[in-house]
Amino acid sequence: MTMSDEHEHHHHAHAHELPVPAPLPMTPDDAGSQAMSEALRSSFAIVKFVMVALVILFLASGIFQVGPQEQAIILRFGKTVGTEQQALLGPGLHWAFPYPIDEVVKIPIRQIQSVQSTVGWFAETPEQELSGNLPPAGSSLVPGVDGYAFTADRNIIHTRAALYYQVDDPTRAVFYFSDGPGSPLGMAGVSNAVQNVLNNALLYTAAHFGVDQVLYSDVGGFQDAVEQRVIQLADQERLGVTIRQCSVASIPPRQLQEIFDQVTDARQNQAKVLDDAHSYENQVTNNADAQASTIINEARSAGVRYVQSVQADAKAFSDLLPNYKINPNLFEQEQLVQMMGTALTNVQFKGYMPTTANGKPTDLWLLLNREPPEPKTGAAGQE
Amino acid sequence: MKKRNLITIFTAAVLVVIFVLLLFTFQVRQSQVAVVTTFGKISGPPCSPGLHLRWPWPIQQVYKFDQRIQTFSDKFSENLTRDNINLIVSVYVGWRISDATNFLNSFPNGSIEAAQGQLQSLLTSAKSAVVGDHPLSDFVNADLQQLKFDEIQDQIEQTVQTELRTNDYGIQVEFLGMAKLGLPESVTEAVFTRMKSERQVLISQAQNEGRAEAIKIRANADRQANETLADAEAQAKQIEGQGVAEAAKTLPIFQENPELAVFMLRIKALQDSLNQRSVLIFDQRTPPFDLFNGVWTNAPNP
Repeated sequence: MTMSDEHEHHHHAHAHELPVPAPLPMTPDDAGSQAMSEALRSSFAIVKFVMVALVILFLASGIFQVGPQEQAIILRFGKTVGTEQQALLGPGLHWAFPYPIDEVVKIPIRQIQSVQSTVGWFAETPEQELSGNLPPAGSSLVPGVDGYAFTADRNIIHTRAALYYQVDDPTRAVFYFSDGPGSPLGMAGVSNAVQNVLNNALLYTAAHFGVDQVLYSDVGGFQDAVEQRVIQLADQERLGVTIRQCSVASIPPRQLQEIFDQVTDARQNQAKVLDDAHSYENQVTNNADAQASTIINEARSAGVRYVQSVQADAKAFSDLLPNYKINPNLFEQEQLVQMMGTALTNVQFKGYMPTTANGKPTDLWLLLNREPPEPKTGAAGQE
Repeated sequence: MKKRNLITIFTAAVLVVIFVLLLFTFQVRQSQVAVVTTFGKISGPPCSPGLHLRWPWPIQQVYKFDQRIQTFSDKFSENLTRDNINLIVSVYVGWRISDATNFLNSFPNGSIEAAQGQLQSLLTSAKSAVVGDHPLSDFVNADLQQLKFDEIQDQIEQTVQTELRTNDYGIQVEFLGMAKLGLPESVTEAVFTRMKSERQVLISQAQNEGRAEAIKIRANADRQANETLADAEAQAKQIEGQGVAEAAKTLPIFQENPELAVFMLRIKALQDSLNQRSVLIFDQRTPPFDLFNGVWTNAPNP
């Protein structure tokens, strides 16, 4: 500003000096030159203003904004300003010298990034996948067009994975990985490297899993193994990323979809047959158990009944013994007749056959195949 | 006029300074490395990131190289395994310019394309050599101990790395891995046929195994049920025996008068035998029918 002031001063003095030595009437020349100098003076003022404005604009163009999801690094003449964490500028307004002195590199902070695998799936466009209108499956798979993985039991399957990860050190990722020669500084390079690792993990994991494990019996195990392999490779290749999630989907070749489905059906059917057998097993053994406890309980109560009846007999015996001792013969007759009386009321068919005159028994023919009818009022407990 | 000159001079000076700076300096970015040649000859070590001085063209020329890791996927090639199986193998390589001077010496104008071409040919021969050393069972194997996947990758990487070092290409391989592993198109068809017959075997296996297992389960259930019943019957017999033994304790009472005891038993047996389905036929000697005797029979009276 001091320089600018001096200019003003000189200019002022000069303007005063000019008219003094020539107080002559104005010639057209003089008028012309004066007009000229006036014009020049005003144009210089404009130029000056424009220059100052340009300088201000130039400097102002160095203002830049860092968004909430990013950080920035200033490269002065190509070299990072500051070291390590101090080099990183947080969200807000910042200023750097304009190009070509400074260059601002924006770096996304630790956000979750995702990549999809590019090997292992047959050729299809996203539109085809969305609409479900897949191109017809040919009888073979074309290398370089149709992707697939080769399983441990030498089967071909289609498998694909989506991986979610975070970049641990975004600065390193930006300055360490390139996405092709001359590509801008960014995260594309590391993303590319992670994708290669994911592809490799799919191939490697499929190479030691059986087709049935991948598709049916150990789907989760396969996915975990893919993730483990990604973690191992990312560590080995020092990609500087943390794996958050990995999801894998696998299908049999479309050419064989039908027969794979048939296997699934057959296995489900097998399970059903086994289920039926098991329910039969339950039923039969439960029945047997129930029957067994019935048998045992019956034996137990029969035993108790028997003992009780013997004891009752014994008691009757003891009770009857004094009477018997008085006259055994009379007692026996009395008992017998009494018994016969009771017994005969229960017997349905009774026949009396007196002896013949010569004392020999009469021949008697009985039709024994006819069962006597059951009495209408049969006494219970006679069996 | 002085002031006008001053402005002009100042502006001119600024322009000259900018021009001179453009001519006599160059910048190397953080991710780069630069090599300076003087009259075509490499002068001095590679320049690290920052501002550097130079003589203008045509005296000196600056070659800047990206020093970041470049990931390069090679073209797939067919290779025969040791057991003569045609495999299609493609690898990805993470490589980096490790020595910019050697790199510039090896490839005209430091062309990345030329370097990738060189890498491609090294990879092609390394793949064919390494794959030919391994049977297919080293590539795919259910047993992780026998799977040589990582060894194969390492061998390809070592082969390429050695070539790069002995030829001073100025390139270093940071990592290498399998990017594709497949079979020639015609073979995939044969694999499909084999897979189909394997599936067929699995289907009949599932059916037969299910049936056989079900029969086994049912037979086992029947056997178990029979055993349970037999056990129960044996136990029932034992309980019966215990009952008899228990009842036998009362026998001494009957000893008091065996005649009565026997009589009672006989009466009981008779009573038991006369259930409702019996047919009884008596003659007059049976009490109480002996009362009929001589009353209205035609028998001679003794």
